[in-house]
Amino acid sequence: MAAIVRALYEGAFNLFEKPMQMLQYSLGAHRMAWVFLLPNLLIFGLFTYLPILLNVWYAGTSGDRILLGERDWTGAANFATLLDCGSYLDPNTCRRDLFWRAVHNTGWFVVLQVGFMILLSLIAALILNRNIPLKGFFRAVFFYPVLLSPVVVALIWKWILQRNGVLNAGLDWAGMPTVNWLLDPSWAFFWIVFVSIWANMGFYVLILLAGLQSIPSDVYEAAEMDGTPAWRSLLRITLPLLTPTLLVVMVLSLIRAVQAFDEIYVLTGGGPGSATTLLIQYIYDVGFATRPRQFGLAAAASLLMAGVLLVLTLLQLAATRKRAEDG
Amino acid sequence: MAEVELRGIVKEYGAVRVVHGVDLTIEDGTFCVFVGPSGCGKSTLLRMIAGLEDISGGDLLIGGERVNDQRAAERGLAMVFQTYALYPHMSVRQNLAFGLENIRMPKSEIAARVDEAARMLKLEPYLDRKPRALSGGQRQRVAIGRAVVREPKVFLFDEPLSNLDAELRVSMRGEIAALHRRVGNTMIYVTHDQVEAMTMADKIVVLRDGRIEQAGAPIDLYNRPVNTFVAGFIGSPRMNFLPCKVTGHDADGLTLQDAQGRPLRAAVDGRTVGEGDTVELGIRPEHMHPDPEGYPVQVENVEQLGGESYLYVRTETGVALTAHLSGQTGLARGGRAFLAIRPEFAHVFRKDGTALPRLRLGELEGDTRT
Amino acid sequence: MRKTLAVSALALMAAGATQAQELRFMCYQDGAECDAWAEAFQSFEAENPGTTVVVDVVPYQAIIESLPIQLEVGEGPDLARITDYGGLARFLLDVRPMVSDPDLIEARYGPSLAWARVGDNAPDGIYNIVDQLTATGGFANATLFEQAGVEMPGPGASWADWAEASRAVRDATGVDFAMAIDRTGHRFAAPAMSFGAALFNDEGEALVIDDGFRSFSEQFVAWHEDGTLARDVWAGAGGGTYQDAAGEFINANLVMYYSGSWQIGRFGRDIGDAFDWVATGAVCGPAACTGMPGGAGIVGLNRTEHPEAVAKLMEFVARDDIQAQVLAQTRNLPANAELQANGIAYQDVTPEVAAALTAFAASVPDFSDTAYALQGYQFNRAVYTNIPARLTQAIVGELSLDDALARLEQDVADAIAEAR
Ligand SMILES: Nc1ncnc2c1ncn2[C@@H]1O[C@H](COP(=O)(O)OP(=O)(O)O)[C@@H](O)[C@H]1O
Ligand SMILES: [Mg+2]
Repeated sequence: MAAIVRALYEGAFNLFEKPMQMLQYSLGAHRMAWVFLLPNLLIFGLFTYLPILLNVWYAGTSGDRILLGERDWTGAANFATLLDCGSYLDPNTCRRDLFWRAVHNTGWFVVLQVGFMILLSLIAALILNRNIPLKGFFRAVFFYPVLLSPVVVALIWKWILQRNGVLNAGLDWAGMPTVNWLLDPSWAFFWIVFVSIWANMGFYVLILLAGLQSIPSDVYEAAEMDGTPAWRSLLRITLPLLTPTLLVVMVLSLIRAVQAFDEIYVLTGGGPGSATTLLIQYIYDVGFATRPRQFGLAAAASLLMAGVLLVLTLLQLAATRKRAEDG
Repeated sequence: MAEVELRGIVKEYGAVRVVHGVDLTIEDGTFCVFVGPSGCGKSTLLRMIAGLEDISGGDLLIGGERVNDQRAAERGLAMVFQTYALYPHMSVRQNLAFGLENIRMPKSEIAARVDEAARMLKLEPYLDRKPRALSGGQRQRVAIGRAVVREPKVFLFDEPLSNLDAELRVSMRGEIAALHRRVGNTMIYVTHDQVEAMTMADKIVVLRDGRIEQAGAPIDLYNRPVNTFVAGFIGSPRMNFLPCKVTGHDADGLTLQDAQGRPLRAAVDGRTVGEGDTVELGIRPEHMHPDPEGYPVQVENVEQLGGESYLYVRTETGVALTAHLSGQTGLARGGRAFLAIRPEFAHVFRKDGTALPRLRLGELEGDTRT
Repeated sequence: MRKTLAVSALALMAAGATQAQELRFMCYQDGAECDAWAEAFQSFEAENPGTTVVVDVVPYQAIIESLPIQLEVGEGPDLARITDYGGLARFLLDVRPMVSDPDLIEARYGPSLAWARVGDNAPDGIYNIVDQLTATGGFANATLFEQAGVEMPGPGASWADWAEASRAVRDATGVDFAMAIDRTGHRFAAPAMSFGAALFNDEGEALVIDDGFRSFSEQFVAWHEDGTLARDVWAGAGGGTYQDAAGEFINANLVMYYSGSWQIGRFGRDIGDAFDWVATGAVCGPAACTGMPGGAGIVGLNRTEHPEAVAKLMEFVARDDIQAQVLAQTRNLPANAELQANGIAYQDVTPEVAAALTAFAASVPDFSDTAYALQGYQFNRAVYTNIPARLTQAIVGELSLDDALARLEQDVADAIAEAR
């Protein structure tokens, strides 16, 4: 049996050897490289670059037709309406106010979610890095939500936060007033930030822990011999040595926060009103949920967002490179 | 300036005891070296003194004061690590100043001390570099400088030279010795290299399996090792051992017989052994030399270094011996040779490994070669 | 799906040999509609040897999301069961030229046939046979009224009457909610019209924000503020997302629920004898007592390769006896005038369900022309999805009602402009 498999396997190689040799002979070793790259380029081209190109094209058209040939070319009109604003600080003055509400919400979400998540992840990582009892258990506790699908996360929290949910039942039992958490705009926003931190922070705790553990322990022993107080050790040794890791964590979480959608969509549906509608949901709403579908507008909005993500990704690359150099 | 005293110091990791009740006094100003094979507990002992490890039992006194419960920083010690343990993100200057800033020393004084240490350790050109831009030797000097600026009562070194190449090791050895002469503080230095120990120490502490085997001046340890372990550990190449039987003793020493019945003599006090006892005769390679009336051996290998030579031989009973000769030798591999084993150079160890007191020290009797 | 594949493969193999025709029917069901049709199609196949009908049962979501895209790119089934006649108008097949008696179909299904005669479709074309007429209307928990000792508003009662009575019942019984309205513009439109909203301008274009629309919107927001309407339903979601309150009604946590006739089957099944409930029929406003008509129906798709066979099947579907047979099983309201007049012998229904079906059926003839116009309006989805998005903003205080209504008008105009 094995011999047959082996023969087939080798036969396959022999089959290709001759043509490949001839190909290399006629093309030269240099151009031969393209022959090997071609399958990958094709796949990338088909599933990555082509869709991007199509997206750019759609952004320049209007209509509710899917086939590009049936759509009207309108140039930059979609961008123009999206960017048509009295003041970018007040969505009510914008032609597409919901887009700008989504931009504002996303901005706040990114700042609060990333800020608090990094702070909390750092604290958690610092604590977990110490010799506390049940360390493995607590690590698992933090990491577990990361393994859950975002929809499951949202359903769990919906179950906790809804009118007759676990949280209100607890408050009621404790004799405290209950709140309809997801129906109040400010509370709803608080909870989407909270839940997305809960769902994602385990991942960053893990990265930060790895970063902390890569700091050599003898540096801390030297600091101890130098009589360094704990807070100074944190500020002057731990944080500076963790900076490259923190930078990577920050950019990664920024990108993911800008792209936040699924758990929020399931938890609040973007409501109440548009209080928790973020950019991706806006794109989904105009492109797919409301009728007629405005593909062009959705494509234009997603290109604007892609611009922001591009900047963040470049930042991440720079940060990773810096980390590689420092490490 | 301080004396360090260990009284019954014990270290346990869980149920495992790795240091078994060490008693030791290191007088003020002494350069004390802990040697021993890897894993014998040298670092553990040093780190307990430093305050980096808890002491499981016994008392640690520094300058007469019990410091078991003091934190590392309060004990007034400074430590140089094998891995240097420099703060990688700080310049050399910041590395040196960091510990002083911790105690809120005035800026001007910090600057003065850093400059002084930099001058002494020839670090001035590198003060603004980060550790990663320094060579191994420079890093080690920064690590030493970081200890120096704090003007500690006691310096602790944990194998500080083992990450350096051989040449650098020799020169840094000299620098540390010079530092000791200049500052005169008590220094405790851990190494597994007996050459380092012999060259630098005022006092050597030989450790094995968490116990002190022998402590004393280097030359005493060389001359009067208390057991086969110390005898084998101190001196390079290591001492030769030859199993023998006691056949008699008199005022000048012992009469022995090797396994072939060949007679040997040793100038040791043989009163505590009886006729017929199995013992081991120890003789250092540098104390054996060709002698037509000597002990017959088969030459297995010869290393000629020009100024000195090493003979690797085997006795008729199959025991491998090494002889270290000064100058060059005409002996060749495969040939027969006769080596003198003179009584005044011989060590004799009982079956349990303990040494019999030597009556004469050939080492002190001038020319050892006849 | 697997069945389809197998059958298609067989069909492919057989294709060369005989003149076999296979029709693929993409079907969704609220209850047992597809099953009932699959059964009925057996007699069709017996009458038409060589033609087979494969019923693909799919979720409603697939009808809403996949089917339009399949059709756009020239794929898809031969027939489908849909609700968005306006949105899919240009993919529908006009079977009038191919059926034997178009006038009979016109006579039976006239009003609902109009729903697909939009855009470039022929004004007398036969595109859809509605097999599940729906009407919006209210349901009330009679047991709660009884417990509270509050008299239930009778036929012709107004929204204000119901609000007052429901609040009284809620307060007396301690349930959570007095009234709830499904979160969609389709439900909102009915009371808006009852309050006098014209919805359309003179050119027949929606959406006009007039005094009637504004006055119900004000009432609607005010009822959310004072807790008459369950905030959870509209404020609990964003954008145009649909949200109902059937669960609360079934759990006896809601006094009066404005939804539609399609809930009858579910209530009959899920409420059982837990409590007594009644259908209220249309609820009145100052201007009218209208609900919104609507309905799912079977359409032929113009991409089919067997238009003649599709036409035959559509004629079969439209037949009085077949409709009577299928609707008796599915317990739906008929769109067929003959059956509306004579009634249907529904199988195994409780008196409550029967009463509700009767109540809804009785309310339909009084629905306003505007309601039918909106149901047949090509861009009605733009109205249905944008109303919840904007009015919720007014409910939660993100926008003033004036701003919300101005934005709503603009959104609908933009959406329609995009689709033209
Ligand atoms: N943290 C620890 N837990 C358990 N055993 C340890 C620990 N640290 C050291 N040991 C054991 O203690 C003994 C002495 O170690 P160490 O002092 O590092 O030896 P060395 O003389 O080579 O410096 C070794 O047997 C080592 O395995
Ligand atoms: Mg060690």
